[in-house]
Amino acid sequence: MALSTPASGTSLAAAGLAAAPSTQTSNLWRDAWRRLLRNKLAVLGGVTVILLCLVAICADFIAPYSYTKANFGKIYEFPSREFPLGTDQLGRDVLSRMIYGARVSMLVGVGAQVIIVMIGVPIGLVAGYLGGRVDLFLTRFIDVMYAFPRLLFVILIMSMLGAGLMNIFIAIGLTGWVGIARQTRAQVLSIKEKEFVEGARALGAGFVRTVTKHVLPSALTPIVVSVTFGIPEAIFTEAALSFIGVGINPPTPSWGQMVGENQQYLRSYWHLCVFPSIAIAITMLSFTFFGDGVRDALDPKMN
Amino acid sequence: MRIPDEQLALFEQRLQVLGVGRRDFLKVVGAMAAFGGLGFATRAEAAKAFKLAPGEKLAKEQVMRLGGGGPWQNDPSSHDFNKDLYCTGVAWQFAGLMVFNADLVAEPYLATKVQSNKDGSVWTFTIRKDSRWSDNSPVSARDFEWSWKRQLDPESKAPYAAFLYDIKNGEAFNKKQVTNRDEVGVKAKDDWTLEVTLEGPRGYFPVLAAYLAALPAHRGAVEKHGDKWTEAGNIVTNGPFVLEQWDHNKQMVLRKNPHFFGARDVHVEKAVVPIIPVQAGALPYENNELDLTWLQPGDLKKLQADPRMQKDVFQYPFPGTWYLLPQATKPPFDNLKVRRAVAHAIDRENVVKVSQGLAVPAWSMIPPGFPGAVDDPKIKAIQRFDKKAALEQLKGTPFEGGKNWPKITLSMREEGLGSKPLAEAVQAVLLDSLNMKTDLEVLEQRVFRERLWKQDLQFVWIRWFMDYPDPHNEYFDTFYGKKTTGRRQAWVNEAFDKELEAGRDTRDPKKRLEHYKKAEEIMQTDVGYVPVAWVVRFAAAKPWVKGIEKNKQGQNVIDGNIYVDMMRHIYIIEKG
Repeated sequence: MALSTPASGTSLAAAGLAAAPSTQTSNLWRDAWRRLLRNKLAVLGGVTVILLCLVAICADFIAPYSYTKANFGKIYEFPSREFPLGTDQLGRDVLSRMIYGARVSMLVGVGAQVIIVMIGVPIGLVAGYLGGRVDLFLTRFIDVMYAFPRLLFVILIMSMLGAGLMNIFIAIGLTGWVGIARQTRAQVLSIKEKEFVEGARALGAGFVRTVTKHVLPSALTPIVVSVTFGIPEAIFTEAALSFIGVGINPPTPSWGQMVGENQQYLRSYWHLCVFPSIAIAITMLSFTFFGDGVRDALDPKMN
Repeated sequence: MRIPDEQLALFEQRLQVLGVGRRDFLKVVGAMAAFGGLGFATRAEAAKAFKLAPGEKLAKEQVMRLGGGGPWQNDPSSHDFNKDLYCTGVAWQFAGLMVFNADLVAEPYLATKVQSNKDGSVWTFTIRKDSRWSDNSPVSARDFEWSWKRQLDPESKAPYAAFLYDIKNGEAFNKKQVTNRDEVGVKAKDDWTLEVTLEGPRGYFPVLAAYLAALPAHRGAVEKHGDKWTEAGNIVTNGPFVLEQWDHNKQMVLRKNPHFFGARDVHVEKAVVPIIPVQAGALPYENNELDLTWLQPGDLKKLQADPRMQKDVFQYPFPGTWYLLPQATKPPFDNLKVRRAVAHAIDRENVVKVSQGLAVPAWSMIPPGFPGAVDDPKIKAIQRFDKKAALEQLKGTPFEGGKNWPKITLSMREEGLGSKPLAEAVQAVLLDSLNMKTDLEVLEQRVFRERLWKQDLQFVWIRWFMDYPDPHNEYFDTFYGKKTTGRRQAWVNEAFDKELEAGRDTRDPKKRLEHYKKAEEIMQTDVGYVPVAWVVRFAAAKPWVKGIEKNKQGQNVIDGNIYVDMMRHIYIIEKG
């Protein structure tokens, strides 16, 4: 155990510069993986997340019915053997729509994070590494962005761009990068003073090389944690947007939209609202458990 | 007296100034056209003798609790209709010179006699002497003179003062071009005679006098309390009820005004109006916290399925039509064959199923039972649902066999009452019949209206709520091609416009309707629109609530924007 303590500085100072990061990181990741597997809640969350991803990817094969096909003879049916979760106002199978809804949720979760990482990480890196005026300027910019109420900002962008999956990526991405940028910057601030970075610089590595090969890999931990927490947040934002009707356009189903459309029928047809709500809750919970586990695994000092 | 068309145009202009109230006022115009060209009754209908049905016994406690499902979902800003007709207060606290009856005909209320000079530019209202404010002071012609001048006074900053611009110098006074309020053309000649001099002949003026904005305010209360005069304790009213208690954002309690002239025939002693958000649905009603409520779609089925409450539910008049507008200037709908295919593709019987009883299949603009409704099999056949005929239409177009559709966006406005499920059902039947994939876009109200009027939307899901029972409203106000403002569709048709003009200019009621029928036929053949469903609305009242008025069609009429006279007629019977 003593060996596996992630003492990045010490191991690096001793080792050769080029080879050092890879062995060091693999140790870190392997240890983290072990710690993650020991966390039962995290494993449960992780398995659920994987299942959800599989459902989203294989929706076309799993879903018993089409998500657009109306069946006017079977409107508002309660759960039965034919329709395990009942049918909606157009007689569409709720289960099938939820399966396709998983696809939207997962896409939003991942897609928005890609944009967030692409914006937030470079800004954090540059601000933290260069320091000085650049840092001052970028930090103030981050502060200003941080001051906006997130959901309102997203709604504003959505109403400018119009509804649709791509626009949800953009809206969540444009507003969500602030946290990750801050964390990256903070991490870079501490790393850039480390000996191995100075060593790289002393050997003549340029800005880009230093940052991408030496600083970034060491700063990955908070980024990974931030992403695992960011995914459920994005999913939830999409659900909220679709709930208020500015998210996904019908007939494409989304869980939030299903809840939003049917909440007024809650007392008459509970199944329309309850099942998608459960799906949202389970997804959020799984990601949160998993994210907690990942954070604990990557950074045992936090406990 | 029939109101000449140039005056109608003036009237419409007046309403456009008002903006928000335009449609509501149009409802009033309807009375002019629909009831033998008479805009109003000159004599009040004799009060029907009150009679209990056999077995009924008046309850000892005449308490009525109403609200929920829309009305009073927010705390009213005030009850000062004299200053702001959209204050959302309780209107039955005040009595105007005229009042709308259940058929939306204006009839004398505080006035006993309504006379005009020959050209209708000076109107004289004789006011009854036996009615009093709730503080027992008489309601006189001077109250109306003062109130109307208050509304016009620029100092009052009344947002809809333009409502009274027909009064001579009313506009000038409101715009500070005339500063002497004596020059404004409303004058109490004595306590019981109000003489109103207008800017010109205005045959419709007595109809205006029936509207909420013409209700009076109590001078003493206003002068003493300013803007707070409609708070409980301050308020003095001249109608059947008076506010007794107002827990803001919670509830209002009203008491019968014993000094109101008709107080003897008002049975309800106390009315309780809780402020209930629309999301609460019919729950308060089901829990017996309300005696009368307006119903939203989510609750209708539930109440109808409840053996105890199903008898409480009744339909009330709210004529309206859901329809599709395929924009004739935007592909693929610039192709008449595509529009015809869409018209044949709509499986109306199935689409309305999703509305849970709040819509029935429509085959024309005007719902059955209203003037101008068509029941001609020939017209019904034009856009009948027929999948084969729909696909047939696509032959020879680039979309033959339901292929090659461009991106099609169906736009609708954000609103309740089951609009979205209907739109989704339309999407589903289009996909089913024509393999036409559509994206449903729900736009914010203002954005929707703006883009609609620019005729910028490709495919629109929209409704028209009838403002007044006359085909002029259903066709001219909506589809007339030469309209310069508020036109919803780019579709124009010369022959169609000609029929509408003929309908407007013809006096003979039978011939008029023929013109509108022809217009409907033209519009359906050329697919200017695709009628889909007629609106149906419901409310519920407990079995012990009696006295709700009925209109000529025999439907129960409850308070809306025009008719606000329900409470005067209601009585509560012994439960049991």
